[in-house]
Amino acid sequence: MVAFGFVLAGLGGLGAYFLPVFQTAANSTTIGSGALPHLNPVTGPTQPFTVLLLGSDDDSKFMPDRLNTQSMILMRIDPESKQATMLSIPRDLWVPIPNVGYGKISTAYQMGGAQGAIAAVESNFKVHVDDYVWIGLNGLVNLINRLGGVNVQVTNPVMDDFYPSDLNSAGNPYDYYRVAVLPGATHLDGVHALQYVRSRHGDVRGDFARSERQQQLLLSIKAQASHLNVADLPTLASAFNGEIKSSIGVDRLRPLLSIANDFNGSNIHRVVLVPPYTSEGFAAGQSVVFPDWAQILPLVHQTFP
Amino acid sequence: MRWAIGAALVVAMLAFGLGVYHTAGVLKAGGKVVHRPNEVSAPPLPGTMYVVQGGAIFRFQHGSFTQVTAEDGWMQPAARPGDNQLVAVRRQTNSSDLFLLTTGGKQVVQLTRNSRPGPAEGNHWSFYPRFSADGATLFYDYDPKSGFNNYQVDLAIYASPSNPDSRGSLQWTHPNDYTGGDVYPVPLRGGGLIYVKYSIDDSFKVHSQIWLQKRAGTSGQALTQPELGCTQPALSPDESLIAMVCSGGSNQTAELDVATFDPTTLTLGSPATLVSGQLVASPVFSPDGKTIAYLAPSTPGGQFQLWTAGSSGPASVRNITTDLGLDSTSPPVWIGG
Repeated sequence: MVAFGFVLAGLGGLGAYFLPVFQTAANSTTIGSGALPHLNPVTGPTQPFTVLLLGSDDDSKFMPDRLNTQSMILMRIDPESKQATMLSIPRDLWVPIPNVGYGKISTAYQMGGAQGAIAAVESNFKVHVDDYVWIGLNGLVNLINRLGGVNVQVTNPVMDDFYPSDLNSAGNPYDYYRVAVLPGATHLDGVHALQYVRSRHGDVRGDFARSERQQQLLLSIKAQASHLNVADLPTLASAFNGEIKSSIGVDRLRPLLSIANDFNGSNIHRVVLVPPYTSEGFAAGQSVVFPDWAQILPLVHQTFP
Repeated sequence: MRWAIGAALVVAMLAFGLGVYHTAGVLKAGGKVVHRPNEVSAPPLPGTMYVVQGGAIFRFQHGSFTQVTAEDGWMQPAARPGDNQLVAVRRQTNSSDLFLLTTGGKQVVQLTRNSRPGPAEGNHWSFYPRFSADGATLFYDYDPKSGFNNYQVDLAIYASPSNPDSRGSLQWTHPNDYTGGDVYPVPLRGGGLIYVKYSIDDSFKVHSQIWLQKRAGTSGQALTQPELGCTQPALSPDESLIAMVCSGGSNQTAELDVATFDPTTLTLGSPATLVSGQLVASPVFSPDGKTIAYLAPSTPGGQFQLWTAGSSGPASVRNITTDLGLDSTSPPVWIGG
């Protein structure tokens, strides 16, 4: 009886520790699955798949159901050939949005959620998107902190006198502060990593610069995530809390983690649609980025068949 | 009596459950625990070194670390030649200032006053302080504001007399617009300056080059090619070698290279790689010039640790610390004594 009591207490302790996994599995927006991660060895996916990564400023300046996507990265992963491609889509890309009309592609998420963003990307880039991952500001910060920070090589000083001070919902979301991310290899926590990938004011490349930095950060996150095992999922899952949404459920994370080590910087092809693929201009009274589809589509179809 | 035993067992069971919960967390954390430097010992190195972690400066001597400042935004210390003083940056949210400190961490004088009331953009940064070899001039980074665009914040290198009572700073370098600026001044004994200049080409690629300027305000000359992506130069005490971190244009690698330098002709030899396969940052030479200390993670994604390598290959890489979280933007200060 006493032994049974101790076993029960131990199981209770383990259960409390793994509670976030149970909660995440239950609350997941997973299509067709809410299962817990399998604890037996897994086989990674073998077929190529395409994921649309979406990032939004979701501070109190914006209505929760009216968010734009400041970051859109189309990612193609081929487990067989061990090749991957990341294609950053400029947030101001001026495109026809299904059922809406012409607009910046960043507004597609506002109009139709993740499916709206997927539809806009699929119809314009002529690709098929299998899954999506959406992340908010605090989601990214928490994710990186839960991973223990990330290492990035800051290519040049990132200086910004008007960086939004909007992570804390209690403050004025229109307030701002100064950012100086100094160059060189460095270890960044979530807040500083977000500064690195979100700042754009002080760089001649503007949004293109942060697109490149966002891809760089993704590689760093991937490097950290490749060390994850099932025991890490409880703390990682607690970072989600609605700040990360995905069609990929926890049950499919383990197979994906199992192939993460197959990919490193050398076999991940990175594309940012800088000029001449795009050109800056004005449309409907807004500063926008015009696509040159004659150049973009052949490039896209090389890696996104 | 029975009741008391039962209650004790219930308490013991609850404590066991709590222990299991915490053990699960500790096991998950694995080797990711970061210690403060003064909690660990390390293989001794000759001389004295200063490193930064968590906004505090630590002295490393005889294999142990001593905290010399509070954890209060301190970074980038540098030695003042000829006396027992350091210059260091104290960084706050919107500004940073330079201070002279005793080697024990006591503030001697505040050299800059960059904090301003009012809007954030009215503040300034000062980074990378470095004294000239004779200690008479202090070089540092500062952000002069553009009169035309508030969004332009590029660091430029300034020089001022190291006497804090004197006035008058001289802008030495003029950075390329919207690149982030010129950084990392390394004064030469003969009066010139080595630093890092950034440029962004027409295809939006960033290049960092080791740059040399003989006098303030001149355009200077590149010591390394743009495609090498070299940064963070360190000069050997006899000025015959320059160690630097080169990326080859990638933002995923950072190797330690070393090249011969001729201070009379101001020319740099071809860089040779001392350390590759690590994310190297902030190299410095030992006082005798035979060893280079640098910062790099021990494991991919890990925090930055202290390493050493022989300055004349083949490299004899040595891991000095394993469980610290050193500030990789603050090069170690390595002095004799």
